[in-house]
Amino acid sequence: MFLHNVNPTVKALTIIGIVFLLAFLFDPVTPLLYISWTIVVTFLFGTFKKKYYIYYFLSFLLFAFGMFWTTLVFSDTSAPSGKTLSLLGITVPAENLWVATSLGLRVLAFATLSLLFLFTTNMVHFILSLIQQLKLPPKIAYGVLAGYRFLPMLKTEFQQVLAAHRIRGVNKPKTWKEKIVQYQRMAIPLLAGAIRKAERTAVAMESKGFTGAKDRTFYRPMKVQRKDWLFPLMMFGMLGITIALSVYFGYFSFYDGQL
Amino acid sequence: MNSWKLKEIVVMSVLSVVFAIVYLAFLPVGKILVGFFGPIGYDLIFGIWFIVSIIAAYIIRKPGAAFLSETIAAAVEVLLGNAVGPMLLVSGMIQGLGAESAFAMTRYKRYDLFTLMLAGVMAAIFSFVWGYFLSGFAALSTGYVLAMFIFRLISGALISGVLGKALSDALAKTGVLSSFALGKEYRRKRAA
Repeated sequence: MFLHNVNPTVKALTIIGIVFLLAFLFDPVTPLLYISWTIVVTFLFGTFKKKYYIYYFLSFLLFAFGMFWTTLVFSDTSAPSGKTLSLLGITVPAENLWVATSLGLRVLAFATLSLLFLFTTNMVHFILSLIQQLKLPPKIAYGVLAGYRFLPMLKTEFQQVLAAHRIRGVNKPKTWKEKIVQYQRMAIPLLAGAIRKAERTAVAMESKGFTGAKDRTFYRPMKVQRKDWLFPLMMFGMLGITIALSVYFGYFSFYDGQL
Repeated sequence: MNSWKLKEIVVMSVLSVVFAIVYLAFLPVGKILVGFFGPIGYDLIFGIWFIVSIIAAYIIRKPGAAFLSETIAAAVEVLLGNAVGPMLLVSGMIQGLGAESAFAMTRYKRYDLFTLMLAGVMAAIFSFVWGYFLSGFAALSTGYVLAMFIFRLISGALISGVLGKALSDALAKTGVLSSFALGKEYRRKRAA
């Protein structure tokens, strides 16, 4: 439960900071170690449906593999050692495999970090915390919250427009082409409906006294407490240890003109 | 920010939410293209990922519309979960800044097709520079990277600029935008 109680802004900034640092590393070992650490932390200190986590993780794994594969095939690294590897019938220089693995694992590291945030953060709390800690203007924040609430509504709206089209004699799309045409036909009614609803929502908010002024009070005050700093300390500390480990074992490679 | 009406903010957020879903839906499309053509596959359709900043700026016509809408769309994508993670938020902000820069160059006065296409191109340039560092394009051969860049520019101009304008104009014709800058322009044109 520890992760759920960390201040959402502190949590988000920590993760963004880590991701930024990881983007400068070019060896596969450091991200791999850090991925394991992130997963362990998420499972130890978070409560959520494990099934969903695994479902998300697998789809991101596929994405990371895609990244690995495209880098491997299209990579430009010259092979001074002349060593080549044969992989699934394709011969590639050994260096390419190294770079590709590190890029693939980097994507996966980003993914596990964002999963940590997603599975342990309440979105409304996050936005409230952004208003109170990062001084996000309430006018924008509440506007966004209202917009975010449209998400489930859009689905029903979509089904309604679809049903309306069917009643008026539009047939079910059979081919890919027809499917695309169907989406084209849906776009304008969906957007128009959403805009109308948004306008009404805004009027309702204002009629109930919302001015967007910054000196408002909060039903749920969000504060940064001393124990919130444990999370960044832990995450950055472990990044330091991982880097130290891979330096010690000679795997470490920092940004060095690879770009 | 005070010149913004709440109505405009909520409509912008809703547009961002809608297009965040569109953006996520296009990720697998991009992935299929990547499967066929390599990393350049994303660049062929990259313009789709700037479209909300062009649409929001074209409809609302206030400083910050392009940047804010793209940022919100990226935030929603992050909140819905995606493989790129929180870095996507920064990517969205950079793309939004790119589009915003084009409108700022016209001092938020011109909203014709040329400006909208320029906004798409600027977003493409900004996002490419960012992607170059983040995704390690340097690992790819120079000619290939150049081809990626050119395709992204074209896609930015055509998909986000031209298609974005067409979508907004179609919306304006339905009359739902009557209290926004674009709708007002339509009314003026009809009156004239």
